[in-house]
Amino acid sequence: MGRLLFFAASGAVLLAMALAPWAIPLREFDGTGYLLSPLGTINPKGLSLPEGLSFPWLGPLFGAWVALIVAAIAVFLTPNPQARARLLYVLGGLGIALFAVGALLFYQAVGSANEAALAAGARRPPLRRFALSLGMYAGLFYALALLLLARMQLPGGLAFLVRLRGVVVPLVSLLLAVVVGAVVVAILRPGLGTQGVEGLGLREFIASKLDLVTYTFQILFSPLLSLPGLFNSLAFATPLIFTGLAVAFGFRAGMFNIGAPGQLTIGALFAMLAGVYLPLPGFLLLPSAILAAALGGAIWGGIVGWLKARFGANEVINTIMMNYIAASVLLFMLAANEYRFFGQTVRLPFKAEGFEGRSEEMQEGARIPLMIDLLAPGGTFSWALPVAVGAGLLTYYGLRRLDLGRRLLLATAATLLGFGLGGLLPGFPVTISSALASQLLNGSFLIAVAALLFYNFYLFRTAGGYELRATGLAPKAAEYAGVSLRRKMVVAMLISGALAGLAATHYVLGAGMDGTYRLKTAIPSSVGFDGIAVALMGQNTPIGIFLSATLFGILLAGGVSLNAQLGISNQIIQVLQALIILFIAVGGLLPRYFTDPLRAAQVETEAKAEQEAQPAQRATL
Amino acid sequence: MEIAIALLFSTLRQATPLLLTALGGLFSERSGVVNIALEGMILFGAAAAAITVNRLEVAMGGEVVFWIPWVGLLAGALMGGLVGLIHAVAAIKYRADQIVSGTAINIAALGAPSIVLQVLYNNTSTSQEVVNRLPNVSLGPGSVSILVIFAFLLVPVVWWVLFKTPWGLRLRAVGEHPEAAETMGINVIRMRYTAVVLSGVLAGIAGAYLSIGFLNQFIRAMSAGAGFIALAALIFGKWHPLGVLGATLLFGFAQALAIQLQGGDVLPATLVQALPFILTMLVLAGFIGRSRPPAAVGKPYDK
Repeated sequence: MGRLLFFAASGAVLLAMALAPWAIPLREFDGTGYLLSPLGTINPKGLSLPEGLSFPWLGPLFGAWVALIVAAIAVFLTPNPQARARLLYVLGGLGIALFAVGALLFYQAVGSANEAALAAGARRPPLRRFALSLGMYAGLFYALALLLLARMQLPGGLAFLVRLRGVVVPLVSLLLAVVVGAVVVAILRPGLGTQGVEGLGLREFIASKLDLVTYTFQILFSPLLSLPGLFNSLAFATPLIFTGLAVAFGFRAGMFNIGAPGQLTIGALFAMLAGVYLPLPGFLLLPSAILAAALGGAIWGGIVGWLKARFGANEVINTIMMNYIAASVLLFMLAANEYRFFGQTVRLPFKAEGFEGRSEEMQEGARIPLMIDLLAPGGTFSWALPVAVGAGLLTYYGLRRLDLGRRLLLATAATLLGFGLGGLLPGFPVTISSALASQLLNGSFLIAVAALLFYNFYLFRTAGGYELRATGLAPKAAEYAGVSLRRKMVVAMLISGALAGLAATHYVLGAGMDGTYRLKTAIPSSVGFDGIAVALMGQNTPIGIFLSATLFGILLAGGVSLNAQLGISNQIIQVLQALIILFIAVGGLLPRYFTDPLRAAQVETEAKAEQEAQPAQRATL
Repeated sequence: MEIAIALLFSTLRQATPLLLTALGGLFSERSGVVNIALEGMILFGAAAAAITVNRLEVAMGGEVVFWIPWVGLLAGALMGGLVGLIHAVAAIKYRADQIVSGTAINIAALGAPSIVLQVLYNNTSTSQEVVNRLPNVSLGPGSVSILVIFAFLLVPVVWWVLFKTPWGLRLRAVGEHPEAAETMGINVIRMRYTAVVLSGVLAGIAGAYLSIGFLNQFIRAMSAGAGFIALAALIFGKWHPLGVLGATLLFGFAQALAIQLQGGDVLPATLVQALPFILTMLVLAGFIGRSRPPAAVGKPYDK
């Protein structure tokens, strides 16, 4: 079975390498490209490359890969597992080297062609949007898979994989979602530049489709490659961190909080009320507005928790209902100024002038500045933030002897002190491009990081958090040990709601929606649902949530360019998220010992027994 | 009087998608599978129906042809059934958390139609308007879509199937105590698959009603919570067809009232719209009678 799977996979990789483009030296804005492939270039729109640019190494490289894959199949048939593992490690290493050589040759050829053209007086480089493509990537993935496979041949290989299931299941689910998403794109759209081209052969047709899906995902991940793109991604990721934490917090306590959209909405409403109307001086106003956001969400979540604790009402249904009620409340407050109640006219002061449903502007003191203004106010790099972060971390990790409470307190003090003192240090001028200055990443991101830290400390370092997790894992055992389940339900929903409500700091106080410091009825509360994907993908761990929120942030940022360049709706991100949730729900289609902790433990025990039974063989390794 | 009749007909129209969906959900939940994906199934069904009708119209030269809306209805039902099958495979075969897989379907239903719309109509939020809608039936002072009649006729049928046939008894047994049902020789897995797919088919029909019966195009997120309200009606109606009928009529009435109140001077429509949701929460809390779900609902079955 495993053997057949490996042969099939090897065959598929070989086929992909033969058919897919390996690299694209030139691509137009609309995506039409010049596709390099070892079996002959494909150039449907007749783009021309600069004189003298050729890629003669493509054929030999392909030959090397074929040899490597054949060798891998042969190695896989050898009987001795130790020898098999060793040879597979070697082949995997060779594969990575082959990939590196190919990448190096390609970028060098393209780079020198561009330099030559520029030296000859061209106004801009003739080769644009050049990149490696699926043929090369397939090789890299195959090489990495060989390394993993080599580890699997050794004793305890399966247990090794099962132990890493917190990473394996999300990654496999991501991969499956990407594959399904690619198939959908390939079915719906014609290959890039092939529209209206007559007489396309089968190989050209397949290659252009593979090029389309590769380029689609390259665009989706392209924000990673530029600083403005990265800022944009983090701006998208900020609310996802909050809502992801909210959902994850519920999961940890054994509750499914689908109510993050509603909690976010009410949080935003509270933040707006505080930010616009509270008559407080600046240094108190912003903290109160932030707390108001948390409070609004906490109330909205807490109601559900209380209903469950007091009446046993199912939190899933109730949070959904609360989402719709929150949407109604928001519309009621901001869609109109005047309402008629039984013939009486009631005026509400909240909606600002104009057609759009939006609030008045926040007071100056309630605004969270843009990240770029925190890092480099007025074009001068400020040491305040880096010093603050450094001082906080140093204090926290330097004072290991003290108890946790004091460490946290001192670290917080050091952070604040660092911020103040760092601000006094002389900065240096930096040039900020307009693309960077227009990114909506704001200080709310720092609040998100603080929320991540809170999540980590509360759940994993305090007695209350321990009880909460116990409640989620084994409610009866927790109750037997003296935990009040009802209290924990309310606490869990309060905190979960507060985390979701804090997402409003990004949209309302930080102007993360469209750069205006107002609450609008169009606030994208559905990021509350996206939080479910973030929590599942991140396996409810703080680092996982941060990484998966960032991943989705990158995809969302990339989705905007995807829409602009290829005319593929950025709703594809939504579909990818849904697919990831679905695939994680079914355990990535992996065997059950990857999802069931009891069976996972069994696999590990068996592996240990097997290792102890063969000490001699291990020694020879 | 005129207002009362208008309100009555509006209630029937608003209640229909809720009723169809809730009756579908009834099968799924009675078999022990939570179906939170009803909302998504409606949307997928609505999109499939509207797009199919539009494509057929384009192929037939934009004429009114009597069979086109029926093919659209079939497409909506099939699409709903297909999505139901996905939920069923995840929940039954792979023992997924049924809430999680349902949520995935709901999220997909917001995004997937947009991608197809973008390709077909170069716009992500609406399909082209269709001329071939499902026929209306005259009912005294007004007329309603034929699916309205179908939905209300379905109530006694579902009641009879559920409580008077051996299949219905088995279905209920599977949802209450699958192990006991299995020992009696009932194929639990097959019963659940059938029930979940059936619920998808009915939700898909509800979607087709929205896009080619009630309106004449698909609009992104046009169900506006109908699937969740149907779920609420299921709880409110205590998982019983007659209770479901009463609950959907009540919720339909609340929605009709909200429309009727638009621009009036009694109550703001935005607040009346929240009424079904508040009512459901009160029911769940036990203020308006207790509601007990099937005992095995939400639990994956392990042989």
